[in-house]
Amino acid sequence: MNNIIKIDCLSKNYHTKEGEIEAIKDFNLEIKEGEIISLVGPSGCGKSTLLSLISGLDKEFKGNITFKDKLKMAYMLQSDALLPWLTIYENAILGLKINHDLTKENLEYVDYLLKLYNLEDFKNNYPKSLSGGMKQRLALIRTLAITPDILLLDEPFCALDQQARLLISDDVYQICKKEKKTVILVTHNIEEAITFSDRVIVLSKRPAMIKNIIPINMANNSSILERRKDSAYQTYFDMIWKDLEYES
Amino acid sequence: MSPEQKKFMKNIKINKIKIMFWQLFIIITFFLIWEILVNTGVLSAFIYSSPSRIIKTILDLIKDHNFFIHIYITLKEVLISFIIGTSLGFIIAIILYEFPFLAKVMDPFLTMLNSLPKVALGPLIIIICGANTKSIILMALLINLIVSIITIYNGFLQTDEYRLKLFKTMHANKRQILFNLVIPSSYQTIISSFKLGIAQTLIGVIMGEFLVSKQGIGYLIVYGKQVFNLHLVMSGIVLLALISYILYKLITILEKKLLKHI
Repeated sequence: MNNIIKIDCLSKNYHTKEGEIEAIKDFNLEIKEGEIISLVGPSGCGKSTLLSLISGLDKEFKGNITFKDKLKMAYMLQSDALLPWLTIYENAILGLKINHDLTKENLEYVDYLLKLYNLEDFKNNYPKSLSGGMKQRLALIRTLAITPDILLLDEPFCALDQQARLLISDDVYQICKKEKKTVILVTHNIEEAITFSDRVIVLSKRPAMIKNIIPINMANNSSILERRKDSAYQTYFDMIWKDLEYES
Repeated sequence: MSPEQKKFMKNIKINKIKIMFWQLFIIITFFLIWEILVNTGVLSAFIYSSPSRIIKTILDLIKDHNFFIHIYITLKEVLISFIIGTSLGFIIAIILYEFPFLAKVMDPFLTMLNSLPKVALGPLIIIICGANTKSIILMALLINLIVSIITIYNGFLQTDEYRLKLFKTMHANKRQILFNLVIPSSYQTIISSFKLGIAQTLIGVIMGEFLVSKQGIGYLIVYGKQVFNLHLVMSGIVLLALISYILYKLITILEKKLLKHI
């Protein structure tokens, strides 16, 4: 597989009135096409900053981030960030509307996604009428609608209850595997990192440096729940736990 | 519908009726006691007037064909200054939001203008604009404009940071963020600023009418005072109370329509 993103010697400093803060230091990483990776690390270590840099939201840094040509990236945030004054359908196509990309093909894909996640019948309702899990599903549809090559997930499941969390992270897992999307997931949840990804990157506390890279190999990759049952799960958990322990 | 649900719905209805009953009760008792106290001579009819005398004064005004002119004049002044004030306030709030540096520079001046009692500017306004409707509208405008700017601008600043980030990750430009996110997010605050604005405008218009007018409800009150016709003064106050309530209600109806889904 080819590299889709290559990060070389990335460093990022923040300037505040109190002084300069080193957020990321000498960070190197290569991400392959279709790979799902997780970034775990102590809170405040700079995980989200890393995503902002990769996505181009934040353009001030030292080092190099190189991408394969013409990549489309989409972000999914901790909050569903739905717009309550728009209908469910209008929310789903928001990204397409902003990018003036409302082609027939894209709209058909949105219809397919709405059907897939049982939101089709509520198309003309407003987000107010949805449960927390359904809202995050709609946020997922909005993210996928622009047919991104890379999904940047910034703790997207952390505001959900356990059940919704498992169901929705499995939705995301399934569709990313099926459509061979590259995913970078930022999380503080070890369980999520193991069950969701092909590689777990453990970060040190600030400034963020790579502490360990753990490739995850499981026998049955059909779903998050199946991966959770895998005999290797506990071993991986202990490894990451140990790595993080020294950091807290 | 289960019997429990029926009971629940019925209770909501009964509660609503109860509230209305007590509201009517308070207003009727208030006017009744007022009427009785004046008619039995406990309060002087000359100073305190009475509900029956107020009704008679208003009927006389209607008979003289003056009634609707006064209401029309006051309403016209209120609407003109309200519309100019809120639209200008809205535009200035957008400018301040789009240019944070300007907002920081202007901050102390806005605060100063906000706390300055605008009535103090009355004499100056009259000298500049003359003793006419223009002065009244300018007076009301000065009062509601600053409040509109500050309320709407603060509403813009409350825009959810996740939603802002979402738009930025979609590479939305400034105009798209403003029209698709910041303004719709602030519907609630904008309506609140209307509510504040209409009350402020009424204050401004009446103050203006006190100073210069020849017509309008403010004029009725001042004129009533000058000729010691306190029935006229009281009628003016009652009419004002009614008008301000109706204007406020109209905005509440608008609010319900606009904010149905939020």
